[in-house]
Amino acid sequence: MKRWTGWLALTRHIAERPLYESYYAERTGEPIDPRIAEHLIDCAACSARYAAIARMLDEVRADGTAEADAIFTSERLRAQQQQIARRLELAARPARVISFPRHAASNGARTAVARSAPRWIAAAAAAGLFVGVAAGASYEWEWHVQPRQAHVNTASHLTPVATRGVGRVDVAADDAFLSELDAALERPRTRELIAYDALTPHVREVTAQR
Amino acid sequence: MSGDLRSAIPSELEPQAGTSLPRRAPSTTLDDDSRLAVEIRGLVERGEHDEARERFGDLVVRHQRRAGRIAYQYLRDAAEADEAVQDAFVKVFTHIGTYREAWPFEVWFTRILINGCLDRRKSQARRDRWMVAGEISPADEARLSTSGVPSDPERRLLSRERRARVAEAVDKLDGRQRTIFVLCHYGNFTPREVSAMTGLNESTVRVHLFRAARKLRSLLGGKL
Repeated sequence: MKRWTGWLALTRHIAERPLYESYYAERTGEPIDPRIAEHLIDCAACSARYAAIARMLDEVRADGTAEADAIFTSERLRAQQQQIARRLELAARPARVISFPRHAASNGARTAVARSAPRWIAAAAAAGLFVGVAAGASYEWEWHVQPRQAHVNTASHLTPVATRGVGRVDVAADDAFLSELDAALERPRTRELIAYDALTPHVREVTAQR
Repeated sequence: MSGDLRSAIPSELEPQAGTSLPRRAPSTTLDDDSRLAVEIRGLVERGEHDEARERFGDLVVRHQRRAGRIAYQYLRDAAEADEAVQDAFVKVFTHIGTYREAWPFEVWFTRILINGCLDRRKSQARRDRWMVAGEISPADEARLSTSGVPSDPERRLLSRERRARVAEAVDKLDGRQRTIFVLCHYGNFTPREVSAMTGLNESTVRVHLFRAARKLRSLLGGKL
């Protein structure tokens, strides 16, 4: 604080910083420079400045303290003490390993078994469905492809006969053709030809009509 | 801001680093609290934990009010301040073995408390970036509105506004200035004690305290 006394001698008034320092010194019970203290008594201007600073800082402190004290009431402080005591007690206790309940474990195993069965069922059902779909698809494929080939073969085989029929109407030739057809149908029946068989008039029926 | 605050306080007084002493010379005589802390340390070392906890309760009673004031000024949230105080006491007890009587218990404890508050401020700031600020609880609101002011609604409102302005102004202080101002002003610590807590020179503490008070005055327009 001594260095401020030189300033005091020059300006005849106390600078701002020693005023603040004097305030804090006074509040915390530290000694104030006697010359500054003396000046504050003698100089009305410096005394007023000091009083303004002290009032402002006192109010800030009082407000802040009152605000905090209003929140930390006696009850709250008591509750805080209890809470701290409880936490310390818990911290001192060694960690306890909680064993897993046996019945819960067996239940869990049963549940696992019970749950694995539907999984197998589901897998079997899926496999069955897949096999079924695959078989169905292959059957469909055979159904669609082979009749077409049979149709092509039959058509190529029958075309000259039809052309021949268009040129002149020859009943004997027709009979021969129908007999050939009947002969073909009398051979072991092929599934693919059943539809053609149903559509085609038989020789017997034609002869009977005559 | 909290980063600056953190840097203002070295970790020399952290409980984990209790064996390393700060560079500043401590006081030679033991105060009552420090003596009690040494006793508690002895009890813990001998395994008398129940007795140690009971004795520690006395230290809690002696320091919790001031701790609450400091924590509240840092955090401006009753629940957060309450938790910070609790955490500080629990931390002190669990690390009592690292306490060295060369330093007053209050200095050691306050150092731990401030570090906890700084951590909480940091996480508060992180939270506030993403979340809307929480409402003050009705109970706290009622307590705040009736504390230290008459029942006159107008004066109560003015008082609340004034407190809000002060809190805002304190919050605007630079990290170190804020720490020092809070400790000196609300913690009632002398610059010498704050110097011991922060590891700063006593003259540096005085300069920061002066600047903080002057800035606060200018922020508040010279009057309240």
